[in-house]
Order: sequence, then structure tokens, then C-alpha cells
Amino acid sequence: MEADELLVLVAGGDQKAFEDLYGLVSGPVFGLVRRVVRDPAQSEEVAQEVLLELWRSAGRYDPGRGSALSWVLTLAHRRAVDRVRSARAAGERELRMARRSNGPAFDQVAEEVEAGLEREWVRRCLDRLTALQRQSVTLAYYDGYTYREVAERLSLPLGTVKTRMRDGLTRLRDCLGGVA
Amino acid sequence: MTSLFRRSDLHSLAAPYALDALEPHEHKRFEKHLRRCDSCAAEVRALREDAVRLAWSTAAPAPAAMRDRVLMAVRTTPQEPSAFAQPPARAITDRYGERAPSRARRSGFSPFLIPLASTTAAAALVVAALFGMQAARTQDQLAQERAQAREIAHVLAAPDARASAGRDANGQGMSVVASASQRTAVVTAAGLGTPSDGRVHQLWLMRPEEKPRSLGLLDGDTPLIATGLNTNATSLAVTVEPSGGSVQPTTAPVVQLALESVGFGE
Repeated sequence: MEADELLVLVAGGDQKAFEDLYGLVSGPVFGLVRRVVRDPAQSEEVAQEVLLELWRSAGRYDPGRGSALSWVLTLAHRRAVDRVRSARAAGERELRMARRSNGPAFDQVAEEVEAGLEREWVRRCLDRLTALQRQSVTLAYYDGYTYREVAERLSLPLGTVKTRMRDGLTRLRDCLGGVA
Repeated sequence: MTSLFRRSDLHSLAAPYALDALEPHEHKRFEKHLRRCDSCAAEVRALREDAVRLAWSTAAPAPAAMRDRVLMAVRTTPQEPSAFAQPPARAITDRYGERAPSRARRSGFSPFLIPLASTTAAAALVVAALFGMQAARTQDQLAQERAQAREIAHVLAAPDARASAGRDANGQGMSVVASASQRTAVVTAAGLGTPSDGRVHQLWLMRPEEKPRSLGLLDGDTPLIATGLNTNATSLAVTVEPSGGSVQPTTAPVVQLALESVGFGE
């Protein structure tokens, strides 16, 4: 069964359907959260929270407004970003920066994550963006920076960052369009 | 600043919004704008789908122990009332004019499952739908529920977290997720209804050779998070008490749940 159908059953209180849904989405959710949060223990906690929230609020999923997987990953991303921002606000920023200083984050993950076809495609498409588009998009999505922080880090005006983000996403759509 | 400029300014936030890259105050403002702007909603949806593609490359196997924890939590965590499946909301179409699909109740209904919606929650949905403020309804409530989910997740993260649940023939019962090492438990009552004459349901921790200790008043099926539990505790009990609760139980328990299986009482 697809995630869309399962989510509808889960909203009706079906625990068996939730187990199946867990099988489908736990990998993508955990991977995404770990990509953003980094710390393994914290990642597990956030991913757990997200999966439990899926159970609680499955009834809020509206099949007319997009796929279940994208609803789930949108939720996971938001929680991961929330966690990373509060951790930064709590002064862990420097520690995190030190952890990252030995290379771009994307390459670090390449070692951790099993190479897959999808990964390869995303990477190839990211490579086709201009450097500023790519950095704007990945600093926000993978590293959880706000567009204001991205502008600061790249020494760009706010308006430019907003435009690069939009162009970057649109180009990604064109490039990845065929592989759904 | 003209209003036209402000609007186009807001509009340019669609991409950062899709990437979850707005500051909290901007995020709030943009979501407010989204509710009034159908073309923006469509655009944001498309940009969100694009952003989600970035997640494709990150999938990684989740730790095996996480599965047990989550499935265990699910057995004792109540669900939000569905915005689409509840009878009062059935005839309502959402803002995109799509009618929500009806959902058949599945057959293998678990005896430990907590009812989906209390009467109050269903009533709140009707009111919200009538005034077209479904989205507004959720802000505070969601924040509260999220904080609660976080506390529950925290209890679950304990290495010794265990769950237990029980119901009597009348469908009254309790579920608990507890960690003896953290001396914390998340307790959810089910099927108790609301006592008459403004009386309340009070939760007690029962200990051998000692007086029951109040853990607080139960509010419907909202989980109650009890901290600082005594590890020698043997069971949880719910009694009906006068408004405001009592210092010691004044009536016999309506339901009781042993704590032995969740690591207490040793």
C-alpha cells in the first residue's frame, strides 16, 4: 500500500497501518532529520517525535494537497530545523561549526549515506545550479539557516538570496522533473 | 512603504518559506498572507515539492530500537480529531473546494485504543468550521500538543521506557508510558467521561504502607505527565473527587492500573 492510503487509515486509528507507514517513511524521516540535526542522539529524538506526531495528527493530512511522503518530510524538516535553531540559540553554534569545519557538509554525508540512485540524481542536479543558487538552497535546507543568516554568511543582499533560492528550487524542479 | 510593495515583498518570501528559512515573525506573517492568497498557496505547494526532493538524497535506515519505542508510544498516545473524518466536518469542503474522502472504520479495533475525539473537540471543530477559522484554531493548541508530544518523546527516549494499558468491560481504563529511571510517566485515561455536578477525575499514585499521592487532575483524554514518581509505587488509580480535587481520595477508584510491568514497585 502507498503512503497516501496508509496515512488515511492511520487517521482512522489503524495501528497496523501505522506500522506499515513506519516501514515506508522512517528511513527518509530519520535520514533527513540526521542530515539537518547532525547529532545522532538528538536526531533520533527528533525523528521519534516526528513519527509520533504523524500518528497524532494524521487526520490533518489532506490528500488533495500533495503526496503523503512530501507532507511527512515537510513536517520532519520543520521539526529538524526548529531543533537545530534552538540548539544554536543555546550556544552550541561554535561546537557545530567546529564539527563541520573539515569540509562541505554535503561531502561528509556522502560517506555516511549509502550511495543511491536518487542521491546521485539530486547531487547531479545540484551541480547544475550556479554556486550561489546551490549554496542558498543547501545552507537553508540542509543546514537549517534562515535566509537572513544565509545572506550574512554569503555576504549577499537579502533580495538576492530570496531570488537565488527561488531560481535554485525551480531549476532543481526542471532537472529532477523526470525522476519521481 | 506602499501596500503594493508590501505585498510583493511578502510574495518574495515564498521560496524561503518553502525551505523553512523564515524567521518566526516572518513565518507567521507569511502564513497569514497565504490564507488569503490562493495563487501564493499554489506556488508554495510547488516550491515545497521541490524542496522535498532535496530530502530524497538523505534517507538512512532508522535505528531498530526507535521502531519499538515509536510503536509502543502509538499504543498509548491519543490522536487529534481528524479535520476530515469526523461526522461534523464531513460535509465541509476545504478552501480548495475538494471534498474530503470519507473514511471507513477499520475492523481490527484494538482494545487499548483511545477514542479519537472527545465531544468537546468535535464541538470545537464545528465552531471553527462555521467561522472559517480552522487554521486559526490550531496555532495555540498545536503548540501545546507539540510540547506535550515532546515530553512524551522524552520519556520514551529513556532506555528503560515501557508501556502498559488496561481497560475494564465498560471501556474505562488507562494507558501509561513510564520510565523508572527518570521517575516519569505519561498517563492517559480513556472512556471515563465527565463526572456530574462539576466533580473531577483525580489521578493517584498508590504506594505500599503509604498514603496515596495525588498526581493531578485528569482533563478528558489529555495525557498527564507525572514526574518525580516514587519507584516503590505499585499502581495508578483514578477517583471521582469534588471540584478542585482532594488531598486524599474520598471515593473508591473507578479504574486502577498496576505499574509492575513498567518497571516500578521494586
